[in-house]
Amino acid sequence: MEKRRGVEFWVLAVFFALFVVFLYGPTLSIMVLSFQGPQGNLVFPMNGFSLHWFRELFRDQPIGDIHGAFGRSIRLALIVMGLTVLVSLLAGLAYRRHFIGSTALFYIAVASLIMPSIVISIGIGAGYELLGWTRTWYTSALGAHLTWTLPFGLLIMFAVFNRFNPALEEAARDLGATGWQSVRHVVLPIIAPSLIGVALFGFTLSFDELPRSSQVTGDVNTMPKELQALQTNTVTPVIYALGTLTTLVSFAVIGLSLAAVAVIRSRRR
Amino acid sequence: MSLSSRTVPYFQAAPLALIFLAFFVTPVLLVGAVSFFDYQTWDILIPDFNFYNYEYLLESSTTYRTYANTAKLCALAWVFTLSIGFTIAYFLAFHVRTVPTQIALFLVCTIPFWTSNIIRTISWIPLLGREGLVNQALVGSGLAAEPVEWLLYSEFAVILGYVHLYTLFMIVPIFNSMMRIDPALIEAARDAGASQWQVLWTIVIPLSRPGIAIGTIFVIAMVMGDYFTVDVLGGAKVASVGKTIVNELGYLQYPPAAANAVVLTLVTILLIVGLMRIVNIRKEL
Amino acid sequence: MAHRSRNPLAQRFTRRDFLSTSAAAGALTITGAPFVHAQEPVTLRIAGTGVNAFNELAAKAKEEVGINIEYIVLTSDDVVTRAVTQPTSFDMIDSEYWMLRKIVPSGNLQGMDTTRIKEYDNIVPIFTKGELPDGTPVARQGISPIKVSYLTDQVSRAFATEPTQWMTLIPTVYNADTLGIRPDLIDRPIESWSELLNPEFRGKAAILDIPSIGIMDAAMVCEASGLATYEDKGNMTRAEIDRTMAVLTEAKRDGQFRAFWKEFNESVTLMASGEVVIQSMWSPAVTAVRQQGVPCVYQPLKEGYRAWAAGLGMPAHLQGRQLDAAYDFINWYLSGWVGAFLNRQGYYTAVLGTAKEYMSDDEWDFWMDGQPAASDVLSPTGVVIEPAGSVRDGGSFWDRMGAVSVWNTVMDEDRYMVRKWNEFIAA
Repeated sequence: MEKRRGVEFWVLAVFFALFVVFLYGPTLSIMVLSFQGPQGNLVFPMNGFSLHWFRELFRDQPIGDIHGAFGRSIRLALIVMGLTVLVSLLAGLAYRRHFIGSTALFYIAVASLIMPSIVISIGIGAGYELLGWTRTWYTSALGAHLTWTLPFGLLIMFAVFNRFNPALEEAARDLGATGWQSVRHVVLPIIAPSLIGVALFGFTLSFDELPRSSQVTGDVNTMPKELQALQTNTVTPVIYALGTLTTLVSFAVIGLSLAAVAVIRSRRR
Repeated sequence: MSLSSRTVPYFQAAPLALIFLAFFVTPVLLVGAVSFFDYQTWDILIPDFNFYNYEYLLESSTTYRTYANTAKLCALAWVFTLSIGFTIAYFLAFHVRTVPTQIALFLVCTIPFWTSNIIRTISWIPLLGREGLVNQALVGSGLAAEPVEWLLYSEFAVILGYVHLYTLFMIVPIFNSMMRIDPALIEAARDAGASQWQVLWTIVIPLSRPGIAIGTIFVIAMVMGDYFTVDVLGGAKVASVGKTIVNELGYLQYPPAAANAVVLTLVTILLIVGLMRIVNIRKEL
Repeated sequence: MAHRSRNPLAQRFTRRDFLSTSAAAGALTITGAPFVHAQEPVTLRIAGTGVNAFNELAAKAKEEVGINIEYIVLTSDDVVTRAVTQPTSFDMIDSEYWMLRKIVPSGNLQGMDTTRIKEYDNIVPIFTKGELPDGTPVARQGISPIKVSYLTDQVSRAFATEPTQWMTLIPTVYNADTLGIRPDLIDRPIESWSELLNPEFRGKAAILDIPSIGIMDAAMVCEASGLATYEDKGNMTRAEIDRTMAVLTEAKRDGQFRAFWKEFNESVTLMASGEVVIQSMWSPAVTAVRQQGVPCVYQPLKEGYRAWAAGLGMPAHLQGRQLDAAYDFINWYLSGWVGAFLNRQGYYTAVLGTAKEYMSDDEWDFWMDGQPAASDVLSPTGVVIEPAGSVRDGGSFWDRMGAVSVWNTVMDEDRYMVRKWNEFIAA
């Protein structure tokens, strides 16, 4: 490629910068608003400046149970993350060979992705209702989340294995490795960064999931449901303080994941 | 191959298949069954087999208006997420030279995705309101004589929300497709005298097709099933199928909600099957 | 304690003092029958809209009665859905009275034994006789609480027409709703519900998107502006529903409404941010707007108020220690502290006498008697919400509850109405 950057580059760079402003504009505005004074509202203008709402966030709320919901959502997201990585990895391995029903299963996975989430939620809810089972976040909601994260996981695994050079594995087998050994020592290390990607996807998609959870969380709320319900009766920037914190936390998590990828890369050398 | 190695894929695929069977296939079939049920205000599920719910749905002109409006929202969200997503992916794939910079810029795009969608949606309100920041700026700078009303609680706001939430789902797969384009191909085209535009039209776009298709599936699926963004940013004034279904559920009208869900599902699947005919997603990922 | 008791009746029992000094506070039920909770405290999950699900209240209940209260905050729609489809997912429900017409036929509620409710005789007769304390009957249009207050039996899917021993809900909060306006942005008096559809406020009006409530606001507007007449607004015929929805739909197409809201917070934000200058509101929402320094008036109107009431009910599955604890909780709820707490939010509570005990004279005079505040009025969190000298919008309890014209409702034609409402929202 040519060394000098052309007009096209600068036009696109400006476009990219504008896009980033668009992406971060609301995030920044809620960051600013989370520093509202104690009398502040959800909208501008600022009504004083304080750390009041961050303190409030860590205290018991007058209404609702943000902490409980947060804890549940974190736990649920971690479980979903683990299962998503495991199940999609296994399925990804399966799809490297032919098996009867593979096409049907693939279409089911895609259907699960495109099915309007609310439909799945109604269906699972109705199923539990008919069976007389109690809906909880760790059973029915877990299942509902998996129908959302697994198709993503599976698609990523397809992308990974499509580019995977089978010669590496064959070489391992030629050297006498068993199937499990070749997976453990050859395949897994190579695809590890992608598995971290699947994990991140699984965690975020679950942590943020509202429509599929709507009918199936049972007696207590997950975080997104709690946030939605809290709109009923709180008029506080506490949710903005929470938004600010989660954004900062995600910077940290992404930093850590990058570090993990870097470590894996360097160990491979 | 031995017999045991032939059975391995079945064991490997079993967890996925079982989860989908329990939490996807069965529930969806149930929704289908419920859509034929009868109901009363005080008895919400009366097992039955009648077409009343479908008749009502298909006879009401509101249904068609709602579907038309949902289709419109979908189309607009698609056009904007695609054009923006493609441009961003193109920039990242072809104009950013080093991999670390690429990753860094890519992450810049994904971080907002980590803040709750609910909070991100609500956070448009202080910006777009009648006395919001944008209107203050417009009026303050003299660009508008009085606050612009259609910025919030309008279809504009809903589309803006969709673009904000879902463009990332376009960027990722398109970027992925673009990275697979062999640079030698582009260089060869250049050497043969192709202009920048010709390269774009004859090489980059056709080869990005799988990514575009996947991004399209994501965006369509999410917009079709959305009820939160349309409610919050549309001020509950903007019609969408998802919102109608949620309302019906809220009013305990399960069978009509199920019938509506079945129709919505069919429409969505038709759209996406159409897309799948254009590209074979599995092969081209 | 700061409060003074002015109610001799309530003084016969100094339970409050007993409770606060005794470590075994939770050991007595108010019926007088000693009942020892085992070491492990009972937990009650209370599902409701959060209108009165204050954690401060739960903490107080834990302290005084020894019961763990877990509030599950839901949207209004979800309350009904939960009660009908997942009755075991909560131990008590905080429901509105109109919801009962959907919940009771499911058989998921059990009647509460009025003989176990200590303050039963002192519950405002709106709920027990259908009349105000001075004997004047309360409006019956819509789901007037008396229509759904009693069950025919403890286990029953039918409402009793006369008071029985079995109550559906013990009232917690109720109020008379009207239009909230921004007096700084509307510089003329507003006197009628018809103003909601006045083209003068095009693009600056809002209405509730909860059909059972919104349809009543709409009916008040249509009737006030002469666009429709009703036999009974609370139980419309199909033709009346069609007419009402046609008026609303036309107004919507003309851009009258800025937004439709379902949640308390949305209404506050709409009003405080100047998006809307006139809308149907809930009393504490008006208070919340004022707390942000934005002027807002809860405007009494000549056609009267649209009232609502909520109460605590027990699901059919409740039994044993949990059932006893639920009665303990309700008895504590009616014993005064909670009543005072909720009255200060701008709601009304079920037993006025005990609540009065826990409020200062100034507070009582302002909130209940409609007199000018003798001192600054503080919110439960200690923020000044009304300066000394101000008067509560609409005046006293009697002025407001006496002027109720209609209650939130579920009609016989509910299924039809809800479909029409859905079409209106989608129009």
